[in-house]
Amino acid sequence: MSYFFQIVVSGVVVGSIYALAALGLVLVYKSSRVANFAHGQIIAAGAFITYFLTVTVGIPIFFSFLASMVITFFLAMSVERIFLRRLIGEPIISVIMVTIGLGSIIDGLIYLTPFGTENYSFPQFLPQAPLTLGGVSISWTQLSGVIITFLLIGGFSWFFKKSTVGISMRAVSDDQFGAMSVGISVPRVFGLAWATAGLSAAAAGCIIGNITGLNFDTLHSFGIIVFPVVILGGLDSILGAVVAGIIMGLIQQFASGYLDGNWGLNGTGDVMPYIILLIILLFKPHGLFGVHEIERV
Amino acid sequence: MKNKNVLFLNALLVLAVMFAFTATANAGGKVYKLGMSLAITGPTSDAGNPYAKGTEDYFKFVNETKMLGDDTIDCTIRDDQYKTDITKRNFEEYLDDGIVMYLNYSTGSTLGLKRDFEEEKIAVLPASYHAGNLDDSNYIFLPVASYSEQLVALSEYVVKNHKGEGKAKVAMFIHPSAFGRGPVDDAKKAVAAGLNMEIVEVVEHGKDLDNSAMLKRLMSKDVQYVLSHTVQSPVATMLKDSARLGLTAGSYGEAGKLTFLGVHYTGGNDLIALAGDACKGYVWTCSFNLTSEKNEGTTKQLALAKKYGRDDKAANSHNYAAGIMVAQVATEAIKRAKDAGLEINKENLYKTLNGMNGKNSYSPYTTIGPVTYSETDRAGVDALQIYSVQDGAFKKVGEPIQSEYMTKIK
Amino acid sequence: MSANKWLATGNFFTTYKQEQRTFLTNLDQSFFTLFLVLLFGWPLLFELSNKSMLVIDNILIAIVAVMGLNLVTGFAGLISIGHAAFVGIGAYTVASFCRTIGDSHIIITHFWPLLIIFSGFMGAIFGAIVGLPALRLKHLYLAIATLSFQMIFQWVINFMSFFNQGQTIFVGRVFWFTGKVGRKDHYVFWYFVILTVVVILGFGIRNLLKTRYGRSLIAVRDNDRAADAMGMNPGLTKVYAFALSGFFAGVAGALHAYLYRGVGFESFTLHESIGYLAMAIVGGLGTLNGCFWGPVAIKFLDLQVESLAELAGQYLPSSMNLATALKPFTFGLVIVLFLMFEPRGIANWWRIAKSYTKKWPFRY
Repeated sequence: MSYFFQIVVSGVVVGSIYALAALGLVLVYKSSRVANFAHGQIIAAGAFITYFLTVTVGIPIFFSFLASMVITFFLAMSVERIFLRRLIGEPIISVIMVTIGLGSIIDGLIYLTPFGTENYSFPQFLPQAPLTLGGVSISWTQLSGVIITFLLIGGFSWFFKKSTVGISMRAVSDDQFGAMSVGISVPRVFGLAWATAGLSAAAAGCIIGNITGLNFDTLHSFGIIVFPVVILGGLDSILGAVVAGIIMGLIQQFASGYLDGNWGLNGTGDVMPYIILLIILLFKPHGLFGVHEIERV
Repeated sequence: MKNKNVLFLNALLVLAVMFAFTATANAGGKVYKLGMSLAITGPTSDAGNPYAKGTEDYFKFVNETKMLGDDTIDCTIRDDQYKTDITKRNFEEYLDDGIVMYLNYSTGSTLGLKRDFEEEKIAVLPASYHAGNLDDSNYIFLPVASYSEQLVALSEYVVKNHKGEGKAKVAMFIHPSAFGRGPVDDAKKAVAAGLNMEIVEVVEHGKDLDNSAMLKRLMSKDVQYVLSHTVQSPVATMLKDSARLGLTAGSYGEAGKLTFLGVHYTGGNDLIALAGDACKGYVWTCSFNLTSEKNEGTTKQLALAKKYGRDDKAANSHNYAAGIMVAQVATEAIKRAKDAGLEINKENLYKTLNGMNGKNSYSPYTTIGPVTYSETDRAGVDALQIYSVQDGAFKKVGEPIQSEYMTKIK
Repeated sequence: MSANKWLATGNFFTTYKQEQRTFLTNLDQSFFTLFLVLLFGWPLLFELSNKSMLVIDNILIAIVAVMGLNLVTGFAGLISIGHAAFVGIGAYTVASFCRTIGDSHIIITHFWPLLIIFSGFMGAIFGAIVGLPALRLKHLYLAIATLSFQMIFQWVINFMSFFNQGQTIFVGRVFWFTGKVGRKDHYVFWYFVILTVVVILGFGIRNLLKTRYGRSLIAVRDNDRAADAMGMNPGLTKVYAFALSGFFAGVAGALHAYLYRGVGFESFTLHESIGYLAMAIVGGLGTLNGCFWGPVAIKFLDLQVESLAELAGQYLPSSMNLATALKPFTFGLVIVLFLMFEPRGIANWWRIAKSYTKKWPFRY
């Protein structure tokens, strides 16, 4: 039985990391209807900035974590200002391709640094001994990851529900013209949405980097891995991202826990999300919590 | 106006003199062209990058210290991003340039271009030690023992040092590609040929953030040893999870716990950096000298890295050593062919490499044993050193070993 | 029709039949014929190195693939981020033949034109299947559906031992009337084959766009509900756009398999899919001549950057990272700049240049 519970715990841990990585995508899509294919690169950038500040500059890791969130906040904001602002109203293929192009540019910039090719790891700052409860164990790294994830997601939910800026962001996502007519600056909201997405990406990068070590290939592949998550949850729902993240984490862990090694199957954890994604797309394309779009001629 | 003209003429004169000097510098000897294509970016670039640096530095060193007299080696190094298409393009270009030997990298492209190597009759030194490279092929020379041989040797090590009753129960943790799967078949053959161990499960990893489920499953099947054949970061994640769950053996072969072992690309300094204390006791096979075990060879390696301004990380990497090693073998082949008064071309270099055995075997300073090639043996260094992590560094365990079952299953 | 068959100063059509002519004037026709003769003739006069020939062949294959992508994404407006997987279907069709009957079986070496067409149909079948979600999905959701097809394709190839787990499956050398095509003539031979394919398929697209099937693609892109009201069947049109695109991709894949004499899964990854999209966009989405400009531009850029990086590498010792960083950087930059400043792609420059020369010396 402890095998089962261990898989559940691992699934929740992995899932909440997915949720955090997915959050950035949802934030951008919610306000500006842009699917950001460069999200993985921003995640990687955030992680490497933290590493640089901690190891090379020598700032305590907690502060460099905050600093890297601030840096990616402004980085993502300027990306929106320079590249995406011009493309408002362009067809969706252009917007998708611009984010892909941006991803490639960031790839190039990261390859300029030594971080592009080699493995690094954060210095140990948490106790190595795991937390064990009834045969189920969780490391401090993972636990802190889960806690940070839920803090951030809680913070964002509060921000959208209560703060004026958050409410204006929701207004924009609901109806851009309506929002404009009551005096909300739509471009500013877009910028802010990107900025918050950058912030959450840095957090995700640090948490993933802490678990798997810092490797550019691994980090930036998360930009693609989270797509099944956001589709399952509904592209524009924060709650959806959390629920779907955890569901995906569980599915993956259960697939590799119970399918792998039986019937000659292997590596099912990697492909399962995409199979489920196809099924969702066929039967419930707007996900669990997404808003149904109604089109008129 | 006049002054300006004079200045211009002077500048021209200086340029002309400079050109004349560079021209004479090259005019003295012949230039031997080599080509190398490898993954400096993209998948496995963490290994490819220091590898490229090693080769580049060693050839520079050869030219600067006039190891071949006035002759020089011109080796073009290109990134192929681990893509066979780009490797093929690079290879065709090198052929057009008239290379005499080719240095390749990935398993995929070595297998993919095998037929071209045959047709062109050009000797190839890949960085992939995949045993399949040698099938139906006469021109691919593995620098060291194949992954299969390493995995089988490691299995033999497990059997010999098995603590406890009955058969040693092992699991394989492998890369989800032919690179990972190939050697497992050979290990299975070795078991069929009488190696006293049981392969309980073969796990192919994905992009896992958490291996708890897998590790617990292995425990429930009474697995005692995990042999891995993949790259460093998945192993690091697994080791960390195992340490967290308290499943890692405190000493080699501790009963009821897991002992981790791995083949060439699973180990190295990056593993220690990635896994930290969790990799204590990890057992690794490698045919190269490591800088954590100082000897004459590693001193030379570090000096080379220092001479060309490489950082500590690259200098201490065993992939840097591997890069130097192929350059050494290539240089040695050219040197021997030259000393024998042969023209330096594809055929003669191929012959020279094939004659590198017996008293003619070659011992580069980077490896733990001599390189031996012959018509029938195209794996270079046959000896394998077992290393194990102690106090945050890989330390030698015993004398170099050699696989016994590999000859039986062929 | 204007009285002068060689030059036309305006639109003189009196019947629909005339409007559907392939060439407007005899001058156009002769220019085009001359151009084709040059394309087919030059390899007989000059001898290029193998590498250059390989690059040219590779560009031509990319042109075939991008034509397919342009049909589905440019003309029908359905975003496909899995085009390399369709190309892979074609290549792996050839590879499966090699696996089952041996790579130098007579079917593979002698009946290769049939096999290439067969691969196209396999691509079409898979295209139609993957196109099914298009009945329900639009825009981004459809793009992600094709993305998941790409991922599933990669997983299947990578895990099935039948496909050699993604490692190279060899394809034998083919025979022509003159005998076995050896290593020396290999690239030139395939240049002629692929060029023929490009010309046939190019005319195919051009004529398709003059029929109701081609026009319905564009109508569905512009507004599928309006197209429905006009009596077209948007669902069927979308599925058949995917099938057609799959056919082109399948042919490209089979050609790729024969050209490289082997099939390995690295040539059909997500990265390649993105590359095809970039080529389509840089060339000009929804234009036929964009299908030619895009691959040429992107592949040449790639080569130029490589040699530039090599040059820089000689002067900046131990800065390998600069050299390798340039490639993705310029690739991304070109996509972004085109989308920001010339979303209609190089095809638009071609259009401007053409109308300028036509009207010269008048400005309009």
